[in-house]
Amino acid sequence: MSETTLFWPILIVFIGALFALIIGLSPLRQRLSIPLFATLLAIFSFSAFLLDISTWPSLNDGRALVWQINWLPSLGLTLSLYYDSLSALFVFLVSGIGTLVLIYAGQYLKGDENAWRFLHYLLLFMGSMIGVVMAGDIITLFIFWEGTSITSYLLIAYKSKYEEAREGAFKALFITGGGGIAMLAGLLIVAHVAGGTDFVTILQSGEALRNSNLYPVMLALVAFGAFTKSAQFPAHIWLPDAMSAPTPASAYLHSATMVKAGIYLLERLNPAMGSTEAWFWLLTLVGGITMLTGAYLGLKQNDLKALLAYSTISQLGVFVMLIGQEVEAAFKALIIGILAHALYKSALFMVVGIVDHETGTRNVTRLGGLRRAMPVSFVLATIGALSMAGLPPLFGFLAKETLLAAAVHPTFSPLESYLLASAIVVAGALLLAQSGMLVYETFLGQAKDKSVHAHEAPWPMLLAPAIPALLSLTVSLPNARTVEPYLASAAANAFGTAVKVSLDLWTGINTPLILSVVAITLGSLLFGQRAQVRAWQNRIPATVSFNRVYESALRLIDAGAYWATRLQGGRLRLYLAIMLLSMVGLVLRFGATLPLVNLLANLTWPTPTADGELAILRIFSLVFIVVTALASVLLERDFAAILAMGASGLGIVALMVLEPAPDVALVQVVVDILAMVILVLALARLPRPQRRKAQELTLKLKSFRPGLLWDGFVALSVGALVTAVTLTALVSRPRESLVTPYFEENAKPLAGATDIVGAIIVDFRALDTLIEISVFGMAGVGMYMLLRYAARKYGDVGAQVEELPAPIQRLRSRGIGGAKTSSFVHALAYFSLPLALVVAITHIMYGHDQPGDGFTSGVIVSLAVGFWYVVFGYYETQRRLPWLKYDAQMVSVGLLLVVLSGLLAAFINGTFLSPLNFGAMLALPLPKGFYLSTAFLFEVAISLTVVGSVTLMLNTLGHPGQTQEEAKARLQEIARLEEENEKQAKG
Amino acid sequence: MNANLLILPVLIPLSGAAVALLLRRARRVQADWTLGTMLTSLVVSVLLLWDVWQNGRALVLQSGGWPAPFGISLVGDLLALVMVVMSQLVISMGILYALGCKDSVAQYPFFYPLFLTLGVGLTGAFLTGDIFNLFVFAELLVISGTVLTAVSDDKYGTEAAYKYFYISLLAATFLLLAVGSLYVSYGTLNMADLAARIRVDASQPLLPYAVGFLMAAFMIKGAAFPFHFWQPDFHTAAPTPVHAVLSSVVVKLGIYGFLRMTTLLFIEQTPAIQAILIVAGIAGIFYGGLGATGTYDAKRMLAYSTMGQLGFILVGIGWGTPLSIAAAIVFAFNHSLIKAAMLMLAGTVASRASVKSAAYSVVTGLGRKLPFVGVLFFIGSLGLAGIPPTNGFISKMLLFRSGIEAESYLPLALMGVGSAITLVYTMRAFRKIWWEEPVPGIKFKPAGDVVLAPTLLLLLVLALGIWAEPLVQLALDTSTWLADYGLYVTAVVGN
Repeated sequence: MSETTLFWPILIVFIGALFALIIGLSPLRQRLSIPLFATLLAIFSFSAFLLDISTWPSLNDGRALVWQINWLPSLGLTLSLYYDSLSALFVFLVSGIGTLVLIYAGQYLKGDENAWRFLHYLLLFMGSMIGVVMAGDIITLFIFWEGTSITSYLLIAYKSKYEEAREGAFKALFITGGGGIAMLAGLLIVAHVAGGTDFVTILQSGEALRNSNLYPVMLALVAFGAFTKSAQFPAHIWLPDAMSAPTPASAYLHSATMVKAGIYLLERLNPAMGSTEAWFWLLTLVGGITMLTGAYLGLKQNDLKALLAYSTISQLGVFVMLIGQEVEAAFKALIIGILAHALYKSALFMVVGIVDHETGTRNVTRLGGLRRAMPVSFVLATIGALSMAGLPPLFGFLAKETLLAAAVHPTFSPLESYLLASAIVVAGALLLAQSGMLVYETFLGQAKDKSVHAHEAPWPMLLAPAIPALLSLTVSLPNARTVEPYLASAAANAFGTAVKVSLDLWTGINTPLILSVVAITLGSLLFGQRAQVRAWQNRIPATVSFNRVYESALRLIDAGAYWATRLQGGRLRLYLAIMLLSMVGLVLRFGATLPLVNLLANLTWPTPTADGELAILRIFSLVFIVVTALASVLLERDFAAILAMGASGLGIVALMVLEPAPDVALVQVVVDILAMVILVLALARLPRPQRRKAQELTLKLKSFRPGLLWDGFVALSVGALVTAVTLTALVSRPRESLVTPYFEENAKPLAGATDIVGAIIVDFRALDTLIEISVFGMAGVGMYMLLRYAARKYGDVGAQVEELPAPIQRLRSRGIGGAKTSSFVHALAYFSLPLALVVAITHIMYGHDQPGDGFTSGVIVSLAVGFWYVVFGYYETQRRLPWLKYDAQMVSVGLLLVVLSGLLAAFINGTFLSPLNFGAMLALPLPKGFYLSTAFLFEVAISLTVVGSVTLMLNTLGHPGQTQEEAKARLQEIARLEEENEKQAKG
Repeated sequence: MNANLLILPVLIPLSGAAVALLLRRARRVQADWTLGTMLTSLVVSVLLLWDVWQNGRALVLQSGGWPAPFGISLVGDLLALVMVVMSQLVISMGILYALGCKDSVAQYPFFYPLFLTLGVGLTGAFLTGDIFNLFVFAELLVISGTVLTAVSDDKYGTEAAYKYFYISLLAATFLLLAVGSLYVSYGTLNMADLAARIRVDASQPLLPYAVGFLMAAFMIKGAAFPFHFWQPDFHTAAPTPVHAVLSSVVVKLGIYGFLRMTTLLFIEQTPAIQAILIVAGIAGIFYGGLGATGTYDAKRMLAYSTMGQLGFILVGIGWGTPLSIAAAIVFAFNHSLIKAAMLMLAGTVASRASVKSAAYSVVTGLGRKLPFVGVLFFIGSLGLAGIPPTNGFISKMLLFRSGIEAESYLPLALMGVGSAITLVYTMRAFRKIWWEEPVPGIKFKPAGDVVLAPTLLLLLVLALGIWAEPLVQLALDTSTWLADYGLYVTAVVGN
């Protein structure tokens, strides 16, 4: 590989993942046996492996290959790769062990329908993991880092129908994902301080990083991310639970590769961020505690995978501890340790998987004596275990030797050395006991459970663990020394300066060797007494279990969730109270009271002016408004309350007339009446029992209860605020509107209107009007939808009444609610509609010069129609006024008319909705005062839309009932009332 | 480009709605027409955005040809057009989803016209340069949204719509009080003109009221804590296609409002506004996240999650640096796509359940029969949690980065915790629906909603995660424009 082709290992593996996906989804999957499929996939990872080892030698001089593309140039972010010996070592492990695991997984999952999914995830993981160790900048690193978390999640939960798999997966994701977020923040701070996101820059800015006052923050965050990923105490708790993954995944992710991502990150950053007091203490302490905890807890386990998981944790602790040191020897030990651990641990995991696969259990209390049935597995397990125990001539021995050598390095004070060395010796002894237990309880002795049957696994399955197991032995071969420069170069990359690595097993009788002997002796003792030791361990309750911390974190979230959802309980009154008070708080926050206080201090009561009579009228209207508004709240009957509200609106009309604001007054009066009519029709539409129930409820709310005080407080605070606004507006108002003079000046010459309000509505602010009529039209459509369709949820199927039973047929021509109406009222109705139409037409034609416009004209027509509904009832009105069924069409045509006239203006005048006088353009002979202009079209359109919308409302509200039953019941009720009346009249 | 074209994103869907009203008896034609209209409008909006972005000059349409403060100006600056494109994109997808949706709502005669007017209201509110006109457009939005939810198949639809309508009226009142206060004080409704005048004279006694009221109004629109109460109830009850639009783009009106408040209208009060936004945002992150964790229903989970995600955006606006505002815009855009897709997927699952509901008691384990939907949902979950390679990661990374630059570490730390909660609730939902054992005896319908729309959205989610440069560049440019309020002012009212 050269710099330009650096991405190939990652790409190849991802292509492999894609290949797995395609095969998995295609019918080809049926033809391909799983072992063969997995072997084919292994070719991809093996190619990556070959690429890696072919390039590694060129990196021995300590140089790094860098590849990058501009990814987010606007932020200066690149996607880049950084490939030095350290990366090469990890790629070697990831792709090498990955190849073996793939072959192994093919055997392990034989007969599993969904194996392709597992293999697909495995390759996705592999690609991400290679990405992590080759990433050249923090963003790339993070992307792949999260990739490993997610694929690990999917792999652990592969057997998703088991609760423990789901739980274990979630726990791993929650802890490593949470760590990932912290790490991202930490790395972003690192990049911020270093002035670049790429490792080249970061590694050169060590000085700046270490001296930054943010150093503790970034160290804590980055270390937190690394610790969670690498299962450091106390975040180690996810790793044992992750053992619910199928064994190939455990062997690969949770011992050999993914859990070393945190180690890798710390190594990568060590030259820049290491060599400080904080770094030393944090890593040494956390790593040391993890080492001891893992070793101690491992001995307790009965499950072979759990035992291996804890010993992995212990080893990871060792690595973290080593990175914390400032001595060359530590990094030598680190690199050797990583390699040794990856080899023996993956071998052991795979053997345990074989045992599990072939016997159906991995519980040491049921196993035993398997050496006869599974001789090859026995040998492989023994080699792995010896390496794990740190016995010569295996790789593990060398790792322990170098580790001890680092611990007794002369730069440490005697006390530090003493503590470190004894911790390592204790952990080593514990690990040795576990190794012994693993081999002895499984393969030696007598079978403890006769029901467990075993036979040896097929050879390809044995091949996978055999290779790393045998490699653990090769260190004693003479030509093992050829890899020394590779390892030295990797160690140097992590340390920052050159490191000397030698693979000599025999370095003479020195302190490390003596300590090693001590550890072995101690371990053998522990192994011999393991029954007692384990019994003693089990007697000590796990007083400090960090699982409880995890669980209580989740419980805390759940408790918060409970309260959050409780507050959101659907009580509108509570919602409103909180929102209104918050609004008051917000307004106060912006210091709104200060100007008010000033104003009030200078407030003088206005002196009565000459127009005394008008003033009295004003005061009367005001009192009237207040009284009627209060009445609308206090009155008990719904109908009366509605009338009171309407009266209050009329009071406002009076005020507007006095202002004088005739246009506003006119609109207000017609709208007020229309609103009343609609409300009354809606009431008539409600079934009586429902109305009664609503009234009772209102009465209950009005009676005194403690909550009323609170409600009163909320209402008063909002009321006070709005009063304050009004008062402030009133007192500080001398300012003249800036736009009014323009309107006054230009209404006639430019818009052709003497009525400024008219000009504002259809010319100056025509867009407002267009949208307003859309709102109005949609309100009608909405009411139609609600009454015809929303009601279906409540059992109303929306069938229309077609045929009525004969006895009640005659009631069809009754007014609304079955009221009998006199012919005098009929005459009035006959008269009102044509009159309304004439008024409407004048309003439209002369709206530009006089009060009144399309809107009022539309409402006036609608009121007349509403009157017809009241007087003649639904069927009769529909029969007499057939155009009423084109309700939505009127809305539509109205809107389209505005759009078309606006577009016409755009084509002729160049601007949408600009004024245009067609009459003048075409020199049409038109009556005086009437202009055929866009304004006229607009008024027509408004009128149409309003009539259409109100008709929609009336058609739905005036309808006697949606279902046959409802209509029948309603009419029968009317017939009954009528009979009663007749009886009374007679009696 | 001719400034007249700026009216088209409003006009096309509005005319489309009017025509669709006429097609009430030909439902299939009406549905196709609606989709065609919205897509046309989307194309126009994208072209407008492209033009404005490339020319570096805002398009301003003085409607009716009336000069600036006197008529109504439509202002197509980058922010407005980004918001418009985002909204119309998601609304188009919502309509596409509705076409293949089993909800009976989609069969009602005026469902599609109302969907279009919802789009008109939202688009117009973003485009208008007149604060009263904004109020009017917002009303169109509210009335359409209310009806669309009230007719939902969900039995709580009508109740929820009532609540929403009521609270929206409250928001409208606040908005109107603010508009009135501003008009009384400065005699103009044009936002650019207002901004310039407020800059000259900030001592008007009604100005603080106006800020407070406007803030409350936008906090309601944007479901910001503690003005969020309507949001989870209302959104959950809405029909899936409507929910997908409401919970993704409609709430962004509040976000837009805050951006205009802090970068245009109230420069002097901006620090105070920003402080409030940060607090409200953090509260929203936690409240929304916890609510999403605790709730009983997948759609409701996503509705709560909206509140949480909006919290992140609010904090971004609250930091107020050019980078954090860009981050907020990117976050808003990305969240819209993810959330809409997720909701559609939850709706798809619900459409297969025996009773149409996304409650976990009904949908648990149903996903086992819908593996493809599961893959999509998983990708969406990653997006919400901000994990690569989705665009959610870009949002989160940008936001974190801007927080570090703003040196605002406490909110940043809390946001980190909030992100972890996001992971909890999305993964829990995924686990429940796709991994757990179905409730015994539960029925599974053979056909359900079509997943084309969420698939397209998620492809976009991935595309914008892998190649984020255009969006980020656009957001950065938008943020640069916003940094100088004078640009907006001169574009609209001249010097």
